[in-house]
Amino acid sequence: MAEQFEPKMTAFVCNWCTYAGADLTGTSRIKYQANVRVIRLPCTGRIDFMMVLKAFSRGSDGVIISGCHPNDCHYTSGNYHARRRWMVFRDLLDFVGIDLERVTFSWVSAAEGAKWAELVNEATNKVRALGPYKEIQQLAAVGID
Amino acid sequence: MEELHNKAKELLSSGAVKVVMGYGKGTGESRRPIFVRMAERASDLVVDSGCTQNLATYLTKAEVCALGRMAIVAIPSTLRSILQLAAEKQLREENVIALAVIDGQLRELATFDAIEQAVATIPDAISEADRTMIDKLVAMSVAERRAFWAAELNRCVKCYACRSSCPMCYCERCTMDCNRPQWIPVASHAIGNIEYHMVRAMHLAGRCVECGTCGKACPIGIPVHLLTFFAEDSVRRQFGQKGGASAKLDYAMSTFKPDDKEEFIR
Amino acid sequence: MARVGVFICHCGENIAGTVDVNAVAKAALDMPGVVHAIEYKYMCSDPGQTMLKDAIAEKKLDGVVVAACSPRMHEPTFRRTAEEGGLNPYQCEMANLREHCSWVHEKAPPTTDKAIDLVRLQVEKVKRNHPLKPIRVPITKKALVLGGGIAGIQAALDIANTGSPVLLVEKSPSIGGHMSQLSETFPTLDCSQCILTPRMVEAARHANITLYTYSELEKLEGFIGNFKATIRKKARKIDEKLCNGCGVCQQKCPVKKIPDEFNEGLSNRAAIYVPFPQAVPNKPVIDLANCTYYKTGKCKACEKLCPTKAIRFDQEDQIEVHDIGAVVLATGYKTMPVSNFSEYGYGKYKDVIDGMKFERLASASGPTGGAIRRPSDGNAPQHVVFIACAGSRDRLKGVPYCSKICCMYTAKHAMLYQHKVHGGTATVFYMDVRAAGKNYDEFVRRAVEDDGVKYVRGRVSRVYEDNGQLVVKGVDTLLGGEQVEIRADMVVLATAVQAQDGAEELAQTLHVSYDPYKFFAEAHPKLRPVETNTAGIFLAGACQAPRDIPETVAQASGAAVKVAGLFSQPELTREPIIAVVDRQPPPVFSHCVGCFLCKSACPYQAIEEESIKNRQGDVLKVVAKVNPGLCQGCGTCVSTCRTKAIDLQGFSNEQVFAELMCI
Repeated sequence: MAEQFEPKMTAFVCNWCTYAGADLTGTSRIKYQANVRVIRLPCTGRIDFMMVLKAFSRGSDGVIISGCHPNDCHYTSGNYHARRRWMVFRDLLDFVGIDLERVTFSWVSAAEGAKWAELVNEATNKVRALGPYKEIQQLAAVGID
Repeated sequence: MEELHNKAKELLSSGAVKVVMGYGKGTGESRRPIFVRMAERASDLVVDSGCTQNLATYLTKAEVCALGRMAIVAIPSTLRSILQLAAEKQLREENVIALAVIDGQLRELATFDAIEQAVATIPDAISEADRTMIDKLVAMSVAERRAFWAAELNRCVKCYACRSSCPMCYCERCTMDCNRPQWIPVASHAIGNIEYHMVRAMHLAGRCVECGTCGKACPIGIPVHLLTFFAEDSVRRQFGQKGGASAKLDYAMSTFKPDDKEEFIR
Repeated sequence: MARVGVFICHCGENIAGTVDVNAVAKAALDMPGVVHAIEYKYMCSDPGQTMLKDAIAEKKLDGVVVAACSPRMHEPTFRRTAEEGGLNPYQCEMANLREHCSWVHEKAPPTTDKAIDLVRLQVEKVKRNHPLKPIRVPITKKALVLGGGIAGIQAALDIANTGSPVLLVEKSPSIGGHMSQLSETFPTLDCSQCILTPRMVEAARHANITLYTYSELEKLEGFIGNFKATIRKKARKIDEKLCNGCGVCQQKCPVKKIPDEFNEGLSNRAAIYVPFPQAVPNKPVIDLANCTYYKTGKCKACEKLCPTKAIRFDQEDQIEVHDIGAVVLATGYKTMPVSNFSEYGYGKYKDVIDGMKFERLASASGPTGGAIRRPSDGNAPQHVVFIACAGSRDRLKGVPYCSKICCMYTAKHAMLYQHKVHGGTATVFYMDVRAAGKNYDEFVRRAVEDDGVKYVRGRVSRVYEDNGQLVVKGVDTLLGGEQVEIRADMVVLATAVQAQDGAEELAQTLHVSYDPYKFFAEAHPKLRPVETNTAGIFLAGACQAPRDIPETVAQASGAAVKVAGLFSQPELTREPIIAVVDRQPPPVFSHCVGCFLCKSACPYQAIEEESIKNRQGDVLKVVAKVNPGLCQGCGTCVSTCRTKAIDLQGFSNEQVFAELMCI
C-alpha cells in the first residue's frame, strides 16, 4: 500500500514582505500544509537562479519564490531586478524542459497573511498532483553530487 | 584580401600595432586563428566564408594583451563583441583596431563610435538552420524538450571549450570554478551538465552577440549555442535590449522598467 | 570544528503544544557541529537568557540557534544576549518554530519533522556565519539646506540652534519663498510677512547659518556624513560688502517695464532690482536678460549713480565646494499656470487670475496697497467668483491628487474680499470643502456665516468674456444639477499645487527618488515621512507633497531633528549586513573582473571603482568596491555577479548553499 506522496516544497522569500506576511499567517493562526521549508533572504533581488536549480537537484518537488509587490521593495528596486531575472529564467527553464507548473512566483506583502497560506496550499496541491519530480531526481542521482 | 594584407603589413611595420589577429588556413578547408606579429607574414591572413569563428575571445586573454596594441580581423559578430566588452570595461579604445570586412569592403575602425555606427548597419541574423532548430524545439512538448536536452547534455564531457571560445566568458574565475560553495558539480554529471549550460545561458542573456562559436567549438557536437541564442532572444523580446549594440552599458539584467510586463507572478 | 548550541523554546504551549520539542532537541544533538541542545519554557525570559549566556561560556559555543518565535520578533533580543554572553551577536540565528510552524500546522508528525528541518537549516547557516563588526563611518557635522522658503528657514534655524553650521542655499535673490508673497494666512488671518520676516532676519543673522542666495546646487557627490556639495553663487553684479541698500539704482534704472515676478506680473520692476522691500539680503541683483548694458553695451546709469560704487558689471559666478554631512530638501512648489485652462480662457482674460495673484492684490505691500482691483481696468470688482479644484483631482489635467491648501485659501480669499469690498458678492464653486486642520472648519464656517460667502457645489465648465464682464457657467449639484450662470467682474482660480520646475533634474542630481508628479519620495509613506531612500538626504515642506504652513514647519523641524540625531554621534554606526567584493593576495588581487554590471544594478549607488596599483603606481586592475556607508544589504549585486566575487555578509552564498543542502 503506497503511502500518500508528500511533496518537498522549498520557498525563497524576502525578509521584509513575504517573511513578515508568513509571520502574520502564524499570528492569525491560519493553517496551511506543512511541506514548505522557507529560506529567508534580505530581498528577492538576492535570489540567484542557481539556488532554484540547486533546490530541484537536491530533491525539491516544487519551488515557491515570493517577495514584495513592485514599488514596495524595502531596498527600492531589488524586486524589479528579480522580476526581470525570472522573466528570462522562466523562459529558459521551459526551453530546457523543466516543468513550470512546479515553480510558483508571487508577490506577498507583509499584510497578506491569508494570501501566503493560500499560495502555499495551492502550490503544494498542484505539486502533489504532479507527483515527485522523478525526472530531475533521477538525473541528480546519477553520478556524484 | 590583398587590401587586408597591405593594411596588416602597414600597421605592423609602422609599429602602430604589435599583433594582427585573424584567420589563417587550417587543415583542409578549415580556418584557424592566427596571430601575425611580423609584417612579412601578413600574407598568411585569409578572409572568406569559412571564417566564422568569433576571434574577439582573444582580446581579453592576458597573453595577447601583453603583446601590445592589437588589430583584429572582424566579422560582424566580432564587432559586436568588441562593443560589449567595451561596455563592460574590458577593452580600452586605444588598445584595439578592428579591420572589418563589410559588404566586401575593408574598413579600419579605430574608435568604438565608428564600430557602433558600422554595427548599426548590419542586420542581426542567426543562421537558417539554427532558426529552424529553435522553432522545432519550441514546438515540442515540455517532456520532449526535456528528453532532447537531457540526452544532448548527458554527452557533455565538461571540457569547457564552449566557455573558452566565448568572448563574453572572460571571467578569470568562472562561477563553475568557485568551490566555496560549489554550486555546480565540476565533473560531467547528468543534472550538473544541464545546470552548467543553463547558468551559462543566463549569464549571457543580454550580453550574447549570437556568433554561435560556442556550438561550433563543442567537440561532441552539442548545439549549446541554441541555449544562449534562446536566452538572448528572450531578453530582446521582453525588454528590447540586446548585447553588442553599444559601447555604453545597457545590460537588461541590471536595469529595469517599473512596468515590465509579466503574467506569471501571482 | 564548529560548536553550535541549539536552544528550543516551548513558548509556553504555543510551540510545545504542537511540536514535540524533546524530539527536536534530540534530533539537534545528532546534527553535525551541534554540541549542546536543550529545550526550555520561555527562552526570552530572564532565566532563559541566563541559560543561553551560561551555555556559551561553559560549552565554549561559537554559534547559537534559538528555535523559537520569528526572528522579526526577537532576533535583536537574542543577539544582545549572545553578545552579553561573550559571543559576536551575528553568530546567533533564529529558527522560526512558531509563526512558521506550530501556529500554522496541525499537531502531527510532519509538523515536528518540519521543526527539525528548520532547525537544521539554521544550524548549517550559523556554522558559516562570520563574526561581524558594526561599520563606523565618519560624519562631517555641517548641513546643507536647499531652498529658502519657510521650510528651509525653519530647518536651518533648528539645525543651527543645535550648534551645527548650516548652509542655506536659495535660487532666487532673497529667502522667503511663497510665504513672503502671501497676504494673510489661515486660519488666523495674521499677516504672512509679519510672522515670516523675523524668521528671515534670524536666519540671516544666526552665527551658524551662512546664506547663499541667488545660488544653486550644481553637484552633490559622496554619501551620508561625507557629501561634497558644489554650489554656484550666481553673480549679482553687485559688491555686497559695499552696497548699503539705498535703492538709488532701482529708482534711476531706465528699463522699468519688466513684469515683476514677486507681484505675479501685476506691476513692473527695473532691470536692477530687489525682489521685495523686505528681502533678505536687501541687496539688488541685475537681470542680465533685460539690462541695457548687457544687451548693447550702453547705459551704466546705476554704476554712475551708486553712492558707494558697488556695481560690478564684470563680476563672475563663483563656484564653491563644501564638505557636508546631511542635506535637507526644501525646494517648495509652484502652482499650475492659468494658461493651462482652455475652458477658462487660456490665461488671456486679464481678470481671470490665480490664487497667488489674488494674494498680491490683497497684500498690504502689494501693487494695489491691499485693495482688490481688476487687473484690466483697475476698478473694484463687485462680483467675484472663486473656482476651487482648478486642475486638482482631475486626471485629464494630469493632477489626480488633492492640493490640500486650496479649500482653505479660497475661503480666506473670499473673506478678505468681503472685508475689503463692502457690498460685493463672492461665490465659491466647490467639490468638497476640505478643512481638516485645527480651527480650519470653524474658519470656513465664518466665511459662510459671518461674511456671507456663497458656496455652490458644482464645477465650472466655462468662463468667457462678454461685454467687459466674465460669464461663469457652472452647475449646482445640490439643486439637482441645475445649471448656473453668473456674471462676474473677476474670477479667481485655485490652481493645483505642483512640484517646482526643475524638481526632476534636482532629484536626479541628488539621486533621490520622486513620484510620477515629480514630488520627492519619502522613504516610507507612514513611518519615515522626512527621510528619502538616499541616506543623509531629508525632506521638508511642499517639495514632498502639497501642504500648509503649520505642517511644513512641523516637518521642517522633523527633518532638522533627523539631521541633529545624525550629527549627535561621533561616528555613524551601521548594521554590517552589507555586500563585500572579495580581495585576494597578488597576483589575483580580486576575483572581480571589473565589468561593473553590479554597479548599474545597485539601488543605492553603493558600488565604486577601485584601481589596484603596483608600487610604481601603474594600474593593474580596476575592480568594484562596496561603500560600507551606503550599502543597505539587499544583495541584488550578489546575484548579478557572474563570478561570485561579491558576497553578502549575513546571507552569503555559502550560507544559502548550506541551507539548500539540508533539503
